[in-house]
Amino acid sequence: MAEHAAPPLDEASRRWALLVAAVCLAPLLLQLPGPTSLAIAATALVITGLSWRRPLSNLLRGVLAVAIVVAVSAQFRFEFGRDTGCALLGAMLALKPSETSSLRDARSLVGFALFAPFSTFLLDQGPWSLALGLTGAMLALGVLQRLAAVEGGMPPERFILPFQHALRLLLLGLPLAFAIFWLFPRIATPLWGVPGRAQAKVGLSDTMSPGDWVDLLADDSVAARARFIGPTPPKSAMYWRGPVLWEFDGRTWRRGRGGEPRPPSFVPSTRRWTYTLDVEPTDRTQLVALDLPLSVPDGARATSDYSLRTTRPMAALTRWTMTSAQPQSFDAVLDASQRLRGLALPSGHDPRTVALGRELRARLRDDRRIVDYALDWIHRDFAYSISAPVLGRDAMDDFLFRTRTGYCEHFAGAFTLLMRAAGIPTRVVTGYVGGTWNRLGGYWMIRRMDAHAWTEVWLQGRGWVRVDPTAAVAPENVYDTLDVPMAEGGLFETLQAPGGLGQVGDWLRTNWNDMVLGFDADRQSRLFSPLGLRRMDPTHLALLFGAVSSLALGLMVWLGLRGPRDRDPVLRAWHRLDRRYARRGLGRAPHEPATTWAERISKARGPDAVELRDLAARFTAARYAAGVADGASARRLVRDLGRHRPS
Amino acid sequence: MMAPTRGLRRRLLALARPRRQESLPIRFDRRRIYVLPTRFGLFFATLLAVMSVGALNYNNNPALLMAFLLAGAAVASLVSAQLQLSGVAITAVDAEPVPAGQPLHLRVHARVDDRRPRSGLKVDYDDGGAAGLAMRGGAGEAVLELPTRHRGWIDVPRLRVSTTWPLGIARAWSYAWPDTPLLVYPAPDPVAMPLPAGSGDPASRRLQAAGDDVHHLRNYRTGDSRRAIAWKPSARRGALLVREFEQPAGTDIDLDWRELHGVAHEARIARLARWVEDAERDGRRYRLTLPAQPPIGPDRGPAHRHACLRALALMPDG
Repeated sequence: MAEHAAPPLDEASRRWALLVAAVCLAPLLLQLPGPTSLAIAATALVITGLSWRRPLSNLLRGVLAVAIVVAVSAQFRFEFGRDTGCALLGAMLALKPSETSSLRDARSLVGFALFAPFSTFLLDQGPWSLALGLTGAMLALGVLQRLAAVEGGMPPERFILPFQHALRLLLLGLPLAFAIFWLFPRIATPLWGVPGRAQAKVGLSDTMSPGDWVDLLADDSVAARARFIGPTPPKSAMYWRGPVLWEFDGRTWRRGRGGEPRPPSFVPSTRRWTYTLDVEPTDRTQLVALDLPLSVPDGARATSDYSLRTTRPMAALTRWTMTSAQPQSFDAVLDASQRLRGLALPSGHDPRTVALGRELRARLRDDRRIVDYALDWIHRDFAYSISAPVLGRDAMDDFLFRTRTGYCEHFAGAFTLLMRAAGIPTRVVTGYVGGTWNRLGGYWMIRRMDAHAWTEVWLQGRGWVRVDPTAAVAPENVYDTLDVPMAEGGLFETLQAPGGLGQVGDWLRTNWNDMVLGFDADRQSRLFSPLGLRRMDPTHLALLFGAVSSLALGLMVWLGLRGPRDRDPVLRAWHRLDRRYARRGLGRAPHEPATTWAERISKARGPDAVELRDLAARFTAARYAAGVADGASARRLVRDLGRHRPS
Repeated sequence: MMAPTRGLRRRLLALARPRRQESLPIRFDRRRIYVLPTRFGLFFATLLAVMSVGALNYNNNPALLMAFLLAGAAVASLVSAQLQLSGVAITAVDAEPVPAGQPLHLRVHARVDDRRPRSGLKVDYDDGGAAGLAMRGGAGEAVLELPTRHRGWIDVPRLRVSTTWPLGIARAWSYAWPDTPLLVYPAPDPVAMPLPAGSGDPASRRLQAAGDDVHHLRNYRTGDSRRAIAWKPSARRGALLVREFEQPAGTDIDLDWRELHGVAHEARIARLARWVEDAERDGRRYRLTLPAQPPIGPDRGPAHRHACLRALALMPDG
């Protein structure tokens, strides 16, 4: 088993290896920040050019490696996240072409290049990344095949051949790959933590200050998809609760810390809504739920203000099944610490708002009347605009008494402050409102632009009650009055509807999510629940995995053992006929022409074998006589050959 | 016979089938085909393992799917490597005898008994050369160089037919250890001693392929020396012509073992081998007389030369 010294690499194979490395790198570069991608691409090109004739010296390579690691890390401000790691990997791959003189170098280049699609998938699981990444992986296999052919001393005659061989191998391996994918036991809890991204996407966050949601409200990508099982709530009640913000420093609302994680007590109303929520990856732990979920799903926990946090960041697509209800009363008894936090005012900020609140309390006395009065005022005197004027130091005073124009952040913040000044415990709730009905798939798309902020006021006897001051000004902006009727439609009806193309695209994406992306340990254990197997434990799964993968292997061997198919159906049928005779020991000898063989057989078997002689003559004519073979007669011959049995 | 110090690899090799020589044809079936990953294969396996564990940990299904697709292709390539070899049969090995010290060109003939195409096959042996075995239309031939040291029969080494097809991540191999012995002629004496005087009719003249007087031109026959071709007349005629010379052929030479007393055993063999070559070159008839066997010849020509050299090669050691 001595490994002979690797033969030098031929020029064509070297080009292919470099090209495939570039193809593998491309989807990763699309996911990295622009300047980093450009720098990596430029480095790769320069390195390839410099080392085209002769490899770079080790010293130069070392210096370049250190330089590019420092440069890439600096672009991420030396924060080490998942994206930093992927960028570093891309940079290393860009340095790899500096040595491509031997077969071994080319192989290791292609091997390392396979990490590029892998890290692309860690950053993004969209269809484009997937298509590009898998293409890269397939081409890489093709180049490995080419290199093996060169090693065997037989460079391919046509460049396409290795790729055909690689494709054939992939297809042969497909049953096994799918068996592993669906049946290989998944890990329910990760072995190590998932590092987040150093540069995060916009999304719901734990803080809110006027004006910082502009990016979020312009992002029409889908944050989650909800599918109701049974009744669907009206759109005006579709409040997806997210982080609850308590603390205000005059500028920014925060969750703050405080309050023991006491489960809140609430009495649900009788209307229940059951739904599944597919949350797109966010790298955060904040989960949203419709109003109040009746139980906390596995893998999440509820805080004392009943916002849900997942136990680990949602780095991949996750699915949550919950049943929610509107509360009849929610935390009817308010403990002292919550009351204190719900009434806290920023010191030295917004004196006019505080004064107005105190005046309302003195004038109206009753909590409910104070709330109604404030909502009336907002409805009367305020305007909704996403391009709100910039606010000064006393932001809430500025908004309430000067600009009177803003969006949900402004309304929720100012309203909460006003209520607190009037002595009503109030908090800001952020999340999403409403959604877009997808006719084709029959589910709701919740986009990032559906993000919203509203308030909850604590009323004696009822507990926390939702009040949405923005809805008092511009309900159409909150609930999307462009409401498509909730009919389910076919493909063509959906395409004709406004925004139909996007809906169809999202529906395709959802199906992909369902079948491939969202598959995890939990869904694996329920894989066969339609067949009556409620839950599979790992032992069953392992046994099943063993059985199915053995089957897949058997299939692979069987397919591999089959010789190449004859292209000509007539020849194929003739060979089958020959095999039937061979099983009786009457096979045609390799040197024997068809007619001679038929003559021999019919002499040995008597007059029964006349048909064989006739068939052999027709076969010879179809194969060798010019102008005899036309489609119809060939089909008849194939049929007759198929029917004939040795007598 | 393996010394325990020769290392694990030697001992493993000794365990591999076949453990003794066997007669041709040798057909490779799954019981004697071995498949192990190459060094690159180990790297590839590590790569796939890292990818799968990472993807399983993050429950990242696209990454997992890619890792498993590659793993599926890798397993398919192992199966494919095994199938490249199974069904291949080594039908014959042969080699033109060469004088000891020169490399023997060992021809290995292979055939397949099914219709699957075979690619990337290679033949080699321990500590020796390698050659590609290209199979076209179900048959193929590889030529290996085999060093020789002594005259006489030498054994064909245990040949390894292997392939890293189709991805280079695994090597499938099988051993063939044919029991066909190969002949090595004795090395001729490097010093040209004059041929012994002949006997018989010295006046007879024969047509020779070499000499001084051109006798006539005749048509080319297969086996004629290239130097004898008369290129200019050939060009005029449009067909190859060969010069024939007329020369006194001299008398038949008697190459007798007993005449060379006083010379060491191996040196005698070398001297006689040299004389056989010289006589053959001069186109003279010669007779070889060796102890304890009937004399060979007198005659000349390739068959006679082979008979003489074979007899010399197989002389018992002195």
